[in-house]
Amino acid sequence: MSVDAVPVLQVRDLRTYFNTLDGVVRAVDGVTFDVGRGETLGIVGESGCGKSVTALSILRLIPPETGRIVGGSIRFDGRELVGLDEAEMKSLRGHRISMIFQEPMTSLNPVLTVGTQIAENVVRHLGVSWRQGLDRAREMLELVRIADAARRLDEYPHQLSGGMRQRVMIAIALSCEPRVLIADEPTTALDVTIQAQILDLMLELKEKLGTAIVLITHDLGVIAETAERVVVMYAGRKVEEASVSSLFAQPMHPYTRGLMRAIPRLDIEADTAGRRPRLQEIPGLVPILTRPIPGCAFADRCGFATDRCRAERPPSVEVRPGHEVACWETARVAEAA
Amino acid sequence: MSTAPVLEVQGLVKHFPILGGLLQRRVGEVRAVDGVSFSIARGETLGLVGESGCGKSTIGKVVLKLIEPTAGRILLGGEDVSSLKPGAMWAHRRRIQTIFQDPYSALNPRLPSGTLVGEPLENFGLARGAELGERVAKLFERVGLRPDAMRKFAHEFSGGQRQRLGIAKALSVNPDLIVADEPVSALDVSVQAQVLNLLIDLQEEYGLAYLFISHDLAVMRHISHRIAVMYLGRIVELTTKRALFEGHLHPYTEALLSAATAPDPARRKRRRRIVQGDVPSPAKPPPGCHFHTRCPYAIAECRTLAPPLIEVAPGHHVACHRRPVGGGPHPLSTTV
Ligand SMILES: Nc1ncnc2c1ncn2[C@@H]1O[C@H](COP(=O)(O)OP(=O)(O)OP(=O)(O)O)[C@@H](O)[C@H]1O
Ligand SMILES: Nc1ncnc2c1ncn2[C@@H]1O[C@H](COP(=O)(O)OP(=O)(O)OP(=O)(O)O)[C@@H](O)[C@H]1O
Ligand code: SF4
Ligand SMILES: [Mg+2]
Ligand SMILES: [Mg+2]
Repeated sequence: MSVDAVPVLQVRDLRTYFNTLDGVVRAVDGVTFDVGRGETLGIVGESGCGKSVTALSILRLIPPETGRIVGGSIRFDGRELVGLDEAEMKSLRGHRISMIFQEPMTSLNPVLTVGTQIAENVVRHLGVSWRQGLDRAREMLELVRIADAARRLDEYPHQLSGGMRQRVMIAIALSCEPRVLIADEPTTALDVTIQAQILDLMLELKEKLGTAIVLITHDLGVIAETAERVVVMYAGRKVEEASVSSLFAQPMHPYTRGLMRAIPRLDIEADTAGRRPRLQEIPGLVPILTRPIPGCAFADRCGFATDRCRAERPPSVEVRPGHEVACWETARVAEAA
Repeated sequence: MSTAPVLEVQGLVKHFPILGGLLQRRVGEVRAVDGVSFSIARGETLGLVGESGCGKSTIGKVVLKLIEPTAGRILLGGEDVSSLKPGAMWAHRRRIQTIFQDPYSALNPRLPSGTLVGEPLENFGLARGAELGERVAKLFERVGLRPDAMRKFAHEFSGGQRQRLGIAKALSVNPDLIVADEPVSALDVSVQAQVLNLLIDLQEEYGLAYLFISHDLAVMRHISHRIAVMYLGRIVELTTKRALFEGHLHPYTEALLSAATAPDPARRKRRRRIVQGDVPSPAKPPPGCHFHTRCPYAIAECRTLAPPLIEVAPGHHVACHRRPVGGGPHPLSTTV
């Protein structure tokens, strides 16, 4: 295998659990995926399916009072992160692996200027002088296309619009040219015209810096327009993984199929003969994560489910090159078209 | 039966004072709604779409008479109710109901759900005692909840079920119009479909009209008959759903549609025209056309003169100086 083919991030059978009053929440329950160098991997799924916990696990930011990585492996550049001591994690975070969140206000420091926050990150990780840190800060603000960068350096987060704050977050996250950028719902709080600007910017910088991106979202539209490969999560598990073209052309998991038929479409004429068509509903609710799920997590809501589905957990199997599905009934699902 | 629209809004303006300084004096105003007119027919869904802060919820609140407009008229079934005193307004209240984005905060946590749903029926004196219970049970069934759930409290329901409670409550008094402010935005997509289907079924069954507020264009395309696109307090384009998606004329509509994503990777190849810049503050809207600071088509006139909303084709209204005139080619047609 050439060096380029070695994934920059390898997540294997990751399990992250939380102790709560209601019992143990299996927030991430055996998730496996790779992120290639410079690749954009999308992780998609509904609220509570474990997307953020997956991201926080990779960065080892699970609150230790309640949560713990109970199993699995996370390799970054071949190096195991599970069990790595906090000092070493600190030198990786914001440097080799960075993260941006949905609400930039929660991760920006309200009492420090934008310039200080970018410079701090650069000085801490690259050991350059404060002067050089500030130069880099200005350069980064220009890179994320904030107009009038020199002046903005001295502004505080509250003086910026939502879109600009997210640009600043991106500037901080990319200031040390990380190998991996984890973006957790980076545009969900933004208006669509601003979302388009930010997604565009992320993809452009990814090309420029060769950073791999893990883009977490609940929005299949955002995935379709940005990701190269997609992991679909449901109830803490990966149910499907494929290239973006394969996933949207031929979704194979009953859940993925259900999702795609449940969403109203912007790009398809909604009315036929003047009537609004019905959306396909997915009956029922997501399972409660404190209860052990012996079989497939989707079995309760699935039209294909058999007794085996309820009793045995389906393994993730490659059904087409590069397209994996965790489902016992793939043959029947494929026939159902 | 009267043919007057269920709701007519004429020249609606709502300014909120900005207070400042030690004495909390009025130092300016937010022009949340800046002269908006539209009407909704029986059985029709008018979608109100636009980015955060453009005034959608404010319009909903004025229509619901939760807040007083600064100027403008509201007509219900042809009758001007703008200046009615609260007492006289009472009779009309029943005709407009609402469902909110976050059903949880809108439902009293201390009352059983059956009592909650029956509240409007009781308040308007429409049912009591056993009859009330029966009608509430029917409502539960109609929105897809089990009648024995009437004893449960709001927190014992899922988000989608709570939205059904809100819908049952709104429906209980046979309104003509429901103002639905982002009713599915807080729901997971798999549950959104259930609620959208229910809303459409109820509309067809009871001839309900909806003022449907959303920032999600795909949801809009699904549920609306006509759509009004708003930008900074004004309607910039108002037309049928089909005309909006296939023949929109306003540069902001173009920007909005082009920025929206769809679950189809092939769309990546389309020519995206991403408008640059941020939405200006409604406290300091730009002069002229509010969109001119971001509009790629702006001309000198746009910077000084607010374009009126003009009907350029039957039912198709546009507020743009560069709208098509005299049947000539439209400026956008060469670029899309
Ligand atoms: N600190 C915590 N303590 C207990 N449970 C937690 C904690 N953090 C997350 N969880 C639970 O873990 C599960 C996965 O949560 P996570 O935040 O990863 O979901 P998500 O996919 O990011 O959802 P969303 O789309 O809403 O952001 C949820 O059931 C959540 O309630
Ligand atoms: N009670 C109020 N006092 C002062 N300003 C207000 C008040 N209510 C709304 N505004 C302002 O009026 C403008 C329009 O607000 P509105 O809530 O109608 O927007 P919206 O289109 O519903 O936005 P969103 O999509 O975020 O819900 C905003 O700038 C808002 O900050
Ligand atoms: S494993 Fe069974 S229950 Fe799960 S998705 Fe496949 S068919 Fe449905
Ligand atoms: Mg999350
Ligand atoms: Mg609103």
